[in-house]
Amino acid sequence: MDEEPERAKRWEGGYERTWEVLKEDESGSLRATVEDILFQAKRKRVFESHGQVRLGMMRHLYVVIDSSRTMEDQDLKPNRLTSTLKLMEYFVEEYFDQNPISQIGIITTKNKRAEKLTDLAGNPKKHIAAMKKAVNSMCVGEPSLYNALNIAMQTLKHMPGHTSREILVIFSSLTTCDPANIYDLIKTLKALKIRVSVIGLSAEVRVCTVLTRETGGNYNVILDESHFKELLMYHVKPPPASSSSECSLIRMGNLRLTPSSDSFFKKQHLESSDGGPGLTLGGYYCPQCRAKYTELPVECKVCGLTLVSAPHLARSFHHLFPLDAFQEHPLEEHKGDRCAYTIKVFTCPACSSVFCTDCDLFIHDTLHCCPSCIHRQGTS
Amino acid sequence: MKLNIDGLLVYFPYDYIYPEQYSYMLELKRTLDAKGHGVLEMPSGTGKTISLLSLIVAYQRTYPLEVTKLIYCSRTVPEIEKVIEELRKLMEFYTKETGEKNNFLALALSSRKNLCIHPEILHANIVVYSYHYLLDPKIADLVSKELAKKSVVVFDEAHNIDNVCIDSMSVNITRRTLDRCQTNVETLQNTIQRIKETDAAKLREEYRRLVEGLKEANVARETDIYLSNPVLPDEILQEAVPGSIRTAEHFVGFLKRFLEYLKARLRIHHVVQESSPQFLKDIYEKVCIDRKPLRFCAERLRSLLRTLEIADIADFSAVTLISNFATLVSTYSKGFTIIIEPFEDKTPTIVNPVLHFSCMDPSIAIKPVFERFQSVIITSGTLSPLDIYPRILDFRPVTMASFTMTLARTCLCPLIVGRGNDQVAMSSKFETREDFAVIRNYGNLLLEMSAIVPDGIVAFFTSYVYMENIVASWYEQGILENIQRNKLIFIETQDAAETSMALEKYQEACENGRGAILLSVARGKVSEGIDFVHHFGRAVIMFGVPYVYTQSRILKARLEYLRDQFQIRENDFLTFDAMRHAAQCVGRAIRGKTDYGLMIFADKRYARADKRGKLPRWIQEHITDGSLNLTIDETVQLSKHFLRQMAQPFRREDQLGLSLLTLEQLQSEEMLQKISQIAQQV
Repeated sequence: MDEEPERAKRWEGGYERTWEVLKEDESGSLRATVEDILFQAKRKRVFESHGQVRLGMMRHLYVVIDSSRTMEDQDLKPNRLTSTLKLMEYFVEEYFDQNPISQIGIITTKNKRAEKLTDLAGNPKKHIAAMKKAVNSMCVGEPSLYNALNIAMQTLKHMPGHTSREILVIFSSLTTCDPANIYDLIKTLKALKIRVSVIGLSAEVRVCTVLTRETGGNYNVILDESHFKELLMYHVKPPPASSSSECSLIRMGNLRLTPSSDSFFKKQHLESSDGGPGLTLGGYYCPQCRAKYTELPVECKVCGLTLVSAPHLARSFHHLFPLDAFQEHPLEEHKGDRCAYTIKVFTCPACSSVFCTDCDLFIHDTLHCCPSCIHRQGTS
Repeated sequence: MKLNIDGLLVYFPYDYIYPEQYSYMLELKRTLDAKGHGVLEMPSGTGKTISLLSLIVAYQRTYPLEVTKLIYCSRTVPEIEKVIEELRKLMEFYTKETGEKNNFLALALSSRKNLCIHPEILHANIVVYSYHYLLDPKIADLVSKELAKKSVVVFDEAHNIDNVCIDSMSVNITRRTLDRCQTNVETLQNTIQRIKETDAAKLREEYRRLVEGLKEANVARETDIYLSNPVLPDEILQEAVPGSIRTAEHFVGFLKRFLEYLKARLRIHHVVQESSPQFLKDIYEKVCIDRKPLRFCAERLRSLLRTLEIADIADFSAVTLISNFATLVSTYSKGFTIIIEPFEDKTPTIVNPVLHFSCMDPSIAIKPVFERFQSVIITSGTLSPLDIYPRILDFRPVTMASFTMTLARTCLCPLIVGRGNDQVAMSSKFETREDFAVIRNYGNLLLEMSAIVPDGIVAFFTSYVYMENIVASWYEQGILENIQRNKLIFIETQDAAETSMALEKYQEACENGRGAILLSVARGKVSEGIDFVHHFGRAVIMFGVPYVYTQSRILKARLEYLRDQFQIRENDFLTFDAMRHAAQCVGRAIRGKTDYGLMIFADKRYARADKRGKLPRWIQEHITDGSLNLTIDETVQLSKHFLRQMAQPFRREDQLGLSLLTLEQLQSEEMLQKISQIAQQV
């Protein structure tokens, strides 16, 4: 992993026994294998997303952030809460970048209660602002998984059937304080096709294992901050839609930025009104009602049309036609040029260019197209 | 899959096999080939039962003349049920593979109410029942005496087999027993009186039979039909019942006299300890009871009960007990001791005299089993050190092997915590156990662990008394309150109903994410029979070394005997006994390869080589130098790391080829090489 600038000082970290990692083990039964398993998992993630699967591209995601006492633990620096919120900011940006026509909402749980930090909405700025504020909040008491899921469920169940209903829980505590039997709630969630995934910050908790298994989500526990980020980023990709979800056509306004020809400025719409005095020349006009917006995507406040721009649609589109998985070869077979040191090399099936593990991940996770192929297309 | 174990075709009802199962079957086959006894240690959760069953059943089918029967002894009813379940799977697999109708008969004797006396038991190929049916002379005679010599006997979970043997031979007599015995004798007398009036011929017939002597039994033993009964020694069979107790009235009179003598012996104010010959001498001097009639007592009573056609034997348990005692005390001059205590140790003010007729030599009870059956297999997850079992049970095994657990990931994490964060040594040893600092450190350890271990933690103490003291002290120090912020606390008590209630609630709390701690006691019910799979036991903490209560006179006598007869030093035996219980306790957490758990030994003394070396090999090999004598802080760091590592996704594919094999993988040269290293011969 690349060096994080905020990485803990060595003396602040836990007892690390770096010499033990290096230990070669004949029977292959020690820590080296755990690393190997992780590597395999990484690769698998790339593979999993391939093939023609229907993806739920209009997503409704509630993120539940545990704000209980355990979030003050300092094993993530400076503490779990700050670290989580910082990563969440990044996550929210990435999320809207990759899923422009989706919505997100944030719930926090502490002191045996759960409350909405932000409602389901499509504007990243509001969420980020709310999270910035939440950094200074107190972490007290125990979380309540039941209450948090219940709040999320109350909203999600009204979402239309063609969209995905998801909950992502960032769970730091090892206990939950519930007012009723959580297994009943899990059944309800399952019936409502709400997918719950959990990222654990400490260890594997049984109730989360059952929750995710029943609702079809993922359950992962972080190893360190970079692993945390990796796990969080995994949820940026839309999950496969369940085959039973409805199909429907959605009207969307496809806009382009038009410089304002009006001689006087129009006060822009509510969305950014709380973000300071925004007076701009250019803007997007709703094709139905001509309301003006400075930011996309957004649901028109006046006529309720979903407004997106062409790049937004394109970005959602790549999920449907993902780049083929690269073939894996052992290092020995390729003596020629490759980008960096790696234990395995990967070749693009279309143009047979060679890449290292990190490039492979970068191409599949971020670029979504093979640079070598594009280059060839350009020259030919 | 079909396996080739050293030339034997074995049907194995699963598609995958653990390498250690293969290795285990190899050793087992070797033992059966040699027609000898074996001691095999393999960790729990690695499929011991199915390996045993498939190999022995295959052996039985291939060599029907060599091995005719499998007798599988387990400890508890749930364990017996588990065996039957596996057996069913195996039989289904046989039917599927061979296509022929299953001609195997298996029989399980689980409890008295299901007891079957149908003669078909004699033809069953597999018998599954509890230890007691074979070891306890009172039951063995009824159930097991007709089992064929060419049987294979398996004692599963046999780490406590010596104690079972001893318990089955020991007799405790209290005033209550004597009172009930008194009633029994009166009933006998009345019945005899009645029969005499109505059917005197019956009694005469019995008399005639007794004159004939126990010839029949003797013939049977010589022709090798029956399993010998330790309560029925050889000499008795050659002789007739002595004249003094031959008639029913005389015998009842004899019993009365014996009873009076015992009553008198219980009227004491100080502890008496004597050997069997001393007791016999005393009884002869006081009430003129000879050794010979005493030896026939058990047999004579049985005959009488038969003659009187008394249906409900259970009512006569007290008099049966006394007569068994009479026979045992007059038969064995060695290996037993008599201790009469006027009161219990715990309550020195309440008069409650007990006569302990205590067996000190486990080999007496198990000897007939070893002598009679061609192969006896003793197996368990924790049998270390292996060589002590042949010594205390007095037999010569042909194979002794300990198997490790092959793991694709290190799923067990034994840590030895020796110090608190204040560097004060943690130990339950007598001098420091009441020490304020030690108790506080124990409390801190539990508190810290409760904050980082998910779901269930099981903590074991060395005794109920010690647990009560510590918990009371934690309460005063406020530690308990802090722990309760993280998890609920449940406590095992001596009351069985209360404990099972606590256990149920504990599991519920683990299940729904509340998290719980179960405080229990080594050697208690929880430590022996109950498994804490997965989330029910993510960590086991062993507070102190669970030495047995050494002030007990019975134990002292036994230790002395072990030293004199088997040259086993007191300390060696005590440590062995403590470590096997500790291993049992911590072993509760790991019940399979997908399971994982922390094993925390909270006592400085565990780090010493003499203690550590007595742990089973599969635990020992994971104790590195870095996990000895840790402080609480270090333990927390290591545990956190371990728990995170273990929470990473773990699928079957990760195991394949390492700790889980397909048939092809098994047949590779390289793998066979590796497998040969799994078993460690002793």
